[in-house]
Amino acid sequence: MADAKEDKRQQLSGEVVQVVSFRLGSEEYGVDISQVQEIIRLVEITHVPRAPRFMEGVINLRGQLIPIIDLRTRFGMSRIDSTKSTRIIVTEIGNKRVGIVVDSVSEVLNIPIENVEDAPEMIAGVGTEYIQGVGKMDERLIIMLDLTMVISGDEKRELEQLGEQAVAS
Amino acid sequence: MSDELFNREEFISYFRDEAEELLQQIDADLLRLEEFVSSGETDPEIVNSLFRALHTVKGSAGMLGFTDVQNLAHKLENLCDLLRKERMPLSESAVDILFTGRDLLTALVEAAIGTHEAPGGVDEYIRKLDQFTSIYEETSHVIEGRMGEQHSFEEAAAAEEEQVSTADVAAFEAEVARLLAEAETRRGSGVAPSTPAPVAAFEGEVASAMPLPVPAPSAPAPSASPVAAEAPRPNGGEKNGPAKTGGEKRSSIHQTIRVDIERLDALLNLVGELVINRTRISDIANTLERLMSNKGANGGAAMANAGVIAPLAKDLADSAALLARTTNEIQESIMKVRMVPIGQVFDRFPRLVRDVAKARGKEVQLVISGAETDLDKTIVDEVGEPLMHLLRNNVDHGIEAPDEREKLGKPRIGTISLNAYHEGNQIIIEVSDDGGGINLEKVRARALKQGLIAADDRLTDREIVELIFTPGFSTAEVVSDVSGRGVGMDVVKRNITRLKGVFDVDTVPGQGTRFTIKLPLTLAIIQALLVRVADELYAIPLDSVIESQRVEMTDVRTVHGNEVITLRGQVVPLVRIAEFFQLGGERDPEKVMIVIVGLQGRQVGLVVDSFEGEQEIVIKPLSDVVGRIPGISGATILGNGSISLIIDVHSLVSEAYSSGKVARAEFSGV
Repeated sequence: MADAKEDKRQQLSGEVVQVVSFRLGSEEYGVDISQVQEIIRLVEITHVPRAPRFMEGVINLRGQLIPIIDLRTRFGMSRIDSTKSTRIIVTEIGNKRVGIVVDSVSEVLNIPIENVEDAPEMIAGVGTEYIQGVGKMDERLIIMLDLTMVISGDEKRELEQLGEQAVAS
Repeated sequence: MSDELFNREEFISYFRDEAEELLQQIDADLLRLEEFVSSGETDPEIVNSLFRALHTVKGSAGMLGFTDVQNLAHKLENLCDLLRKERMPLSESAVDILFTGRDLLTALVEAAIGTHEAPGGVDEYIRKLDQFTSIYEETSHVIEGRMGEQHSFEEAAAAEEEQVSTADVAAFEAEVARLLAEAETRRGSGVAPSTPAPVAAFEGEVASAMPLPVPAPSAPAPSASPVAAEAPRPNGGEKNGPAKTGGEKRSSIHQTIRVDIERLDALLNLVGELVINRTRISDIANTLERLMSNKGANGGAAMANAGVIAPLAKDLADSAALLARTTNEIQESIMKVRMVPIGQVFDRFPRLVRDVAKARGKEVQLVISGAETDLDKTIVDEVGEPLMHLLRNNVDHGIEAPDEREKLGKPRIGTISLNAYHEGNQIIIEVSDDGGGINLEKVRARALKQGLIAADDRLTDREIVELIFTPGFSTAEVVSDVSGRGVGMDVVKRNITRLKGVFDVDTVPGQGTRFTIKLPLTLAIIQALLVRVADELYAIPLDSVIESQRVEMTDVRTVHGNEVITLRGQVVPLVRIAEFFQLGGERDPEKVMIVIVGLQGRQVGLVVDSFEGEQEIVIKPLSDVVGRIPGISGATILGNGSISLIIDVHSLVSEAYSSGKVARAEFSGV
């Protein structure tokens, strides 16, 4: 168990981890900058009936349609109305471009690797594989997220197979 | 290492495209060459073009290590070289050998790039080919020997580059004529198929041409000026029709480039983004202008700035208008770039018709017009197969045997015309023949025998013709390898329907048949009716919409709890889209807005919240983004950047039927 956690922290290699920090409610999260393709303002999300459950809908990103995952819904937090600071972080999960809705994006932080600790036992249980650790910056606690893990393995497979399914039919 | 691998893949993909084009060209060249067979003379332009094409294939294949391809291309190139240098007379057998070789080469190319199994019989073919060419190669060795070192035959025959005296050429021709006669005698002894007529004609040509000086004797060496290269040569000098058109065609190829369709789509996406931003700028300009006209109400501060801002606002508005025009033009241009001439498909048909006609012992000429008619690349790719079936059918069933035609007072050679033209936003492709037409009696008898109709069925002529589209139907007495296996016309019709096209047939007994195919110019853009359901916009393809109606709730009745309306005496079941997609939203207690859609003769009313007008939409696939969803065929991005889902009427209705709801309502027949 300890080894597994050690591995997770090991993924954040290098002396300093560069993370994009964002907020969900009162908590601050960070995601490795290499996982972020771009950050865009919230645009109108088109609901797609009968789409896979983890998908909020689709948006138009410069003519390309990409699915959207709402991180609040994902983490079982209450839904809120979007504000001026609501953002979509565009990332890639299993070769698919995906947009992740967050409350706001703050800044890019350089967190020395020694300041990143394992997630406390309590929150690092089953179903939270996406938490890589907790980074400390002065008084702030930044929950380090692996965005590629925010959907479950099954969901990921589903996402990856979407294109193939279409070709086969 | 991985770099090398990547490069190789890229090369192979390039090779595939290039080879495809070259093989197509070889085919076209061979067909034109065949026209010269009867005269026995060779058109140097065509043979040169053939030679170059084969040479390029050989070179590219060699680079990639496709030795089989390289080998065969080399052998074929040799044969063409013999023709080019006029060491070998043009004969039917030579052309046939080249045709077969071309096909084998195609198969080898496909095997090399891994799309097909390697073909058999290559070695045997090469042996035959060697046997065939060896006769003439021997001949030429003799000539080369006699000519000595000074002017080898090779250089001399390449006339454009080499300085050759008139006397030399004349001596040559005499030598060639003599040696060809020798070769002919040898061939007559059964080494290869004999073709006396063309060779005789060729010799005649040589003989008559001999007294003619090559260039004027006093003229400078042929190599001196580019004009001299065009100078008529002793034989084969008369350039006639086919040679000319060939030259023009080649020059047009040089002005085209190949672009991956994905790049075009990416470009189109970017332009879409441009259009959205253009709309925003226009909005800003409008807002500014409105503010300026309201300046009186705002008082002093606005007034003070008005002098500066007003001209700027006007500039912005002008500039936004210009931007709008330009972006629209860019968008249209890119859509046009996706369009390719249908000739890309037509090009392979002369060969097909030739082969089928030859196999069936018929004489057929294919007249193609409108090859330059443009349509979307995706449709061009799909339309080839149905057209191929049609043409085969025309040759096989339409055109009569030459003797029979003569008896009927028709020219021996049957004519099939392939014609394409634009009509509105559709392309019309007509395939017509001057054959016997569809024999209605025969069709009827056949259908009766196959149990497709009953003996006492009274059918109109039109209905009888329609029978040929029934799966499994065939009038051919004997199943042939060309057509008549009972697959064909129904497949053709199905393919055309799948492309959202219309397929029609006109036939006049004794005079011929005309098949008419109407296709949309593009599958990427469709006309759609936009509707609003639970605050989202949905697009319903207009081709399946029959009408839209507002109906009072009092006219909506229920059957087994399912809603239906009566429309002109017909019971039409309703499907509430909001409920089908579980979108929530409330029912309007007073009225329903209904879009009546037709599907295989059945009508279904789709209940929506409101109609939002018709629009041309660009279809974007959605299945690789969210998976296949019953009832949704894709999405489109509207002018303001928002997304609208496209309703798949077919799957929506069949799902509604299979869930039982609609079926029960219809069954009870209110």
